[in-house]
Amino acid sequence: MAAESGVFTFAPAIAVLPFVSFLVALFAGKYMPKKGAVAGIAATAGSLLLSLVMLAQVASGHAHHMELYTWVGGEGVPFELTFGILLDQLSTLMLVIVSTIAFLVHVFSLGYMNDEGETGLPRYYAELGLFSASMLAFVFSDNVLMAFMFFELVGLCSYLLIGFWFRRPGPASAAKKAFLVTRFGDYFFLIGVVGIFATFGTGTFGGPGVEESFPELAEAAIAGGASVNTFFGLSPRAWFGVLGLLVLGGVMGKSAQFPFHTWLPDAMEGPTPVSALIHAATMVAAGVYLVARMYGFYALLPTVLAVIAFVGGFTALFAATMGVVKDEIKQVLAYSTISQYGYIMLALGGGGYVAGVFHLTTHAVFKALLFLGAGSVIIAMHHNENMWDMGGLKDRMPVTYYAFLSGSLALAGIVPFSGFWSKDEVLYETLVHGLGGSPLLLAAYAMGLLAVFFTGFYTFRMVLLTFHGEPRTDLAEDPEPVRWNVKIPLAILGVLAAVIGVINLVPVHALESSVPEFLHDWLYHGPEGLNGEHYHELITSPEFAGYSAGAIPGLGELGTLFASAGLSLAVALAGSAVALALYRAPAPEEHTAKLGSLKTLLYENYYQDEYQVWLAQDLTEETVAKNAKRFDDGVVDGFVDRVSDVSLVSGHFLRRVQTGIVSNYAALITLGLVVLLVAFGIVGGWFGGVFA
Amino acid sequence: MIPLQQTPTLAPDWLALTPALLLGVFALLLFVFDSIDPDESNDGLLAGLATVGSVSAAVVAGVFLLLGIGAGDGVSLYGGQLVVDGMALFFMLIFTSVASLVCLGSIDYLEGHDDIAGYYSLVLLATTGMAMMAASNSLATIFVSLELLSLPSYGLVAYLKNNKGSVEAGMKYFLVGALSSAVFAYGISLIYGVTGSLLLSEVAGALQGGEVLTDLGGIFGVGVLMVAGGFAFKTASVPFHFWAPEAYEGAPAPVSAFLSSASKAAGFVVAFRVFIVAFPIESVAGTIDWVLLFQVLAVVTMTLGNFAAATQENVKRMLAYSSVGHAGYVLIGLAALTGQGNGEIVLGAGMIHLLVYGFMNTGAFLFVALVEYWGVGRTFEDYNGLATKAPIACVAMTVFMFSLAGLPIGGGFLSKYYLLAGAVGAGVWWLALVAAVNSALSLFYYSRVVKAMWIEEPNGNLDRIDVRGYPTGLYAAVVIAAIATVVLLPAIGIFSGVAFEAASAVLQIAP
Repeated sequence: MAAESGVFTFAPAIAVLPFVSFLVALFAGKYMPKKGAVAGIAATAGSLLLSLVMLAQVASGHAHHMELYTWVGGEGVPFELTFGILLDQLSTLMLVIVSTIAFLVHVFSLGYMNDEGETGLPRYYAELGLFSASMLAFVFSDNVLMAFMFFELVGLCSYLLIGFWFRRPGPASAAKKAFLVTRFGDYFFLIGVVGIFATFGTGTFGGPGVEESFPELAEAAIAGGASVNTFFGLSPRAWFGVLGLLVLGGVMGKSAQFPFHTWLPDAMEGPTPVSALIHAATMVAAGVYLVARMYGFYALLPTVLAVIAFVGGFTALFAATMGVVKDEIKQVLAYSTISQYGYIMLALGGGGYVAGVFHLTTHAVFKALLFLGAGSVIIAMHHNENMWDMGGLKDRMPVTYYAFLSGSLALAGIVPFSGFWSKDEVLYETLVHGLGGSPLLLAAYAMGLLAVFFTGFYTFRMVLLTFHGEPRTDLAEDPEPVRWNVKIPLAILGVLAAVIGVINLVPVHALESSVPEFLHDWLYHGPEGLNGEHYHELITSPEFAGYSAGAIPGLGELGTLFASAGLSLAVALAGSAVALALYRAPAPEEHTAKLGSLKTLLYENYYQDEYQVWLAQDLTEETVAKNAKRFDDGVVDGFVDRVSDVSLVSGHFLRRVQTGIVSNYAALITLGLVVLLVAFGIVGGWFGGVFA
Repeated sequence: MIPLQQTPTLAPDWLALTPALLLGVFALLLFVFDSIDPDESNDGLLAGLATVGSVSAAVVAGVFLLLGIGAGDGVSLYGGQLVVDGMALFFMLIFTSVASLVCLGSIDYLEGHDDIAGYYSLVLLATTGMAMMAASNSLATIFVSLELLSLPSYGLVAYLKNNKGSVEAGMKYFLVGALSSAVFAYGISLIYGVTGSLLLSEVAGALQGGEVLTDLGGIFGVGVLMVAGGFAFKTASVPFHFWAPEAYEGAPAPVSAFLSSASKAAGFVVAFRVFIVAFPIESVAGTIDWVLLFQVLAVVTMTLGNFAAATQENVKRMLAYSSVGHAGYVLIGLAALTGQGNGEIVLGAGMIHLLVYGFMNTGAFLFVALVEYWGVGRTFEDYNGLATKAPIACVAMTVFMFSLAGLPIGGGFLSKYYLLAGAVGAGVWWLALVAAVNSALSLFYYSRVVKAMWIEEPNGNLDRIDVRGYPTGLYAAVVIAAIATVVLLPAIGIFSGVAFEAASAVLQIAP
């Protein structure tokens, strides 16, 4: 045990290092060269290195769990609240992803922020450091309460960063919106956390050496082997469903799932490297990661899984259609993020744990790449983000172009780029489980498949408008050159986006079994109760989720696999081809007008913002809040005012007693003493029989 | 229960009084210094000497406390006239800490005044009196040490000889004090008449069995009430509180800090000892139920103090009334000794609250001293926008205010929590309720200060700050007090253990 924990003692440093860089940048950033960037780069590089070490340790079969600090506990306390670290296959993989992206974003920020002469850089790097630290700590949390706390910190940091240029009205309002919308979801999550503790008495996720974890207890309770506290007279299964949905509220808020997606496009007001971090590896990823983290719990609950899958599929399609008409490059990417996280939810809900994590991984890489690429374009275009003002940037910024193209091919799901492999697996898992007897999953699959078409379309529309054709403005004619600190992250990510799919080549493995499915094997070898194999058992067990795998009639398992892959590729190519046909001209036209009233609907994002504004303003503020205020003013304040009136009046009386004349005081003191003497004398019977 | 452990002993015994002796010696040193060279102005040296004296006494008291000297029954000196036990050392630590802060803060405040040596030696002599009070175990030594505290205090309040307010306050303080001392001395004589002894343990011994009380119960009861009156004067409890607002307002602000924190604590330590050791409630409840007496006094004192504080326009006067209110909270330490629940928690909570109060209240008054030093003004309005000029001091003041109100930003939260928990445990939940309501009210007037400093716009009276600059000594004292207040939130465990042990030792003595 001691030898095993040797390297793991450094695990907390993964989150502590960026936290230190936060402090350094905050207090000493002003005096440092590059205003604190160096500290952030060094810290995230350290985190990356340590994460890789942990990954290697875990790979050698040493998943690890340790408790760091018990802040509530002891005799007579119904449960312990602790901070601890859980390092298993899933968390180390995520740590590597997060620290890689954080590191690259720090480097990129040198080009995007420092070279552009932005002010307030120490604040920027401090917030970036805190952001990375909270996300890393969230990832290695060993219990749901600790996860919640860092989840909230992640939310706070994204609020701060989205509102980095807080003097402009746009970012300030976007930051507020992001904060409020995600907070709305987090209310449910918080109630869910309390519910989990009240039900199971523990919030730990499990892991080696953990005696009681709530997914295991839930499993035992449904199987009838353990008793837990349930509430409102619900059966364990129904009550767990309620808990699962409550936590899901937080997930949907953070991961921008319908109907909580509205904050994310607005969040583009933040600096572009921050968008990359939020979209690829931190804020938005936190939601789906939480589902993966407690998958042992969700896998018990078919209803909740179906909700997750359906919401995911719907969001994927819904967001993709809105991305089709957007004019600004970052807006397109924002909707694509919502859509892609929809896929991850679809996979997790459809019983494809490995597929979900796989798409989370590949998406992190190619979405970070696309945002940084967009950032590079934005630098070149002097912060003009409108794609109609670009065009022809291909020849003027080749590194950016080829990297961006690699990311776009991955996003669109074109073979052999990484996105193809993961998206295909997501759709395949959903399809087979749908065919196994779940029409709801089939519907979700259909939406997911349709979204592939729109994804291909908006992706290539974006690429063509930005990089191809003739330059449409003087700026695009002569863009500002970008430096190494922009190009190197792009190059690294560009290569990764192309090849990262190699970690899980499912169709190839099916043909030639000597080609390994790294990720599949990796996740299946997690610690007991936390591995893919266990989840698979739960998913397929009729006692729990009860999914079963089906196949397209007449094709068999292998045939279904290739049919699914072929179908999604064909749809993606069709979408891309339409985009090519429409926009591949030296001077492409706007075709959106042809959509007629549909265009307005899409432009206005299906009026989602409007009804939410109505909910927030007209309903909540005007009606509920006003009535509450009336109650507060009239009843609560009325009472309090009376009390303070009384106290002020009596206070003034006391002031009058305090005359300032010392003989009055002497008289009052003597009088007081005499009153006390008489009173206690009567009580104590000092006066003999006189008063008795 | 007191664990059986090897308690370190001191040879000779009287070394246990080292903190008090150090204070006395340094007070005399100041005299010597001043008489050798009366005209030379060496303010820094004199202040330094006084600070060193009180700090070294504080260190000795702290070390003794940690070593466990006087654990259990304590070191008994001079035939039981004095006793140095855990409670005595705990309170010596409070007094000397406050005195250190006050000496440090006075350096700048007294800039340009004559006869600085007199001021510091009076502070040290008063502290010596307090330390002796903490260790007194007989009514005679209590009276003498109480006077040793009182007489220098009158002088200190009137120290600003050319300031009408200061002189008037000193005069009033003296007159009310004289009256209270007379009441107190008369009470002592009655008790001596009934029990035939001045030694606390012998008084208790004489009361055992109850024969004395059946014959002379009335006389004894009057005596106990009058003694209680003497303590009520020192602790600024109703109805002997009238002097407090006037004296605190008129006195130089560091002296107000000294009186409202340390002198109040000194009043409490003798009250704790006398009532628990000499008048055990089991023996005297039939004649004079002093637990009920203190319940009445606690409720009236905290309510009156807080209500009056809410209407003040002058910050220093608000603090003076709030100090009366806090005396009411600490009285719970006696008022909840109902025999139910855990007496040591109740008494220990009172002690801890005085310790925390020693820092947060001293700090608040020193902040007022800082503002007076600048000559900005005394009302809430004069404090408007102070944070723009003096952010660090304003952060410290915010800590003091919120900790006084009982918010979890400083030790005041936990000490108040202990008091309320002790009261509930003793079955006097209504007392806890009154205290909680008063705390809520106090938040109102404390936050007025915070609001004025941080939120209101400056109204043009802050230019004087630039003229006078930022005084190092006062700033240091305010910041140290703020740090101590904040640190006492997580570190209260260290002191609460000591306080509960000391309280339990005192409660054990009672037969």
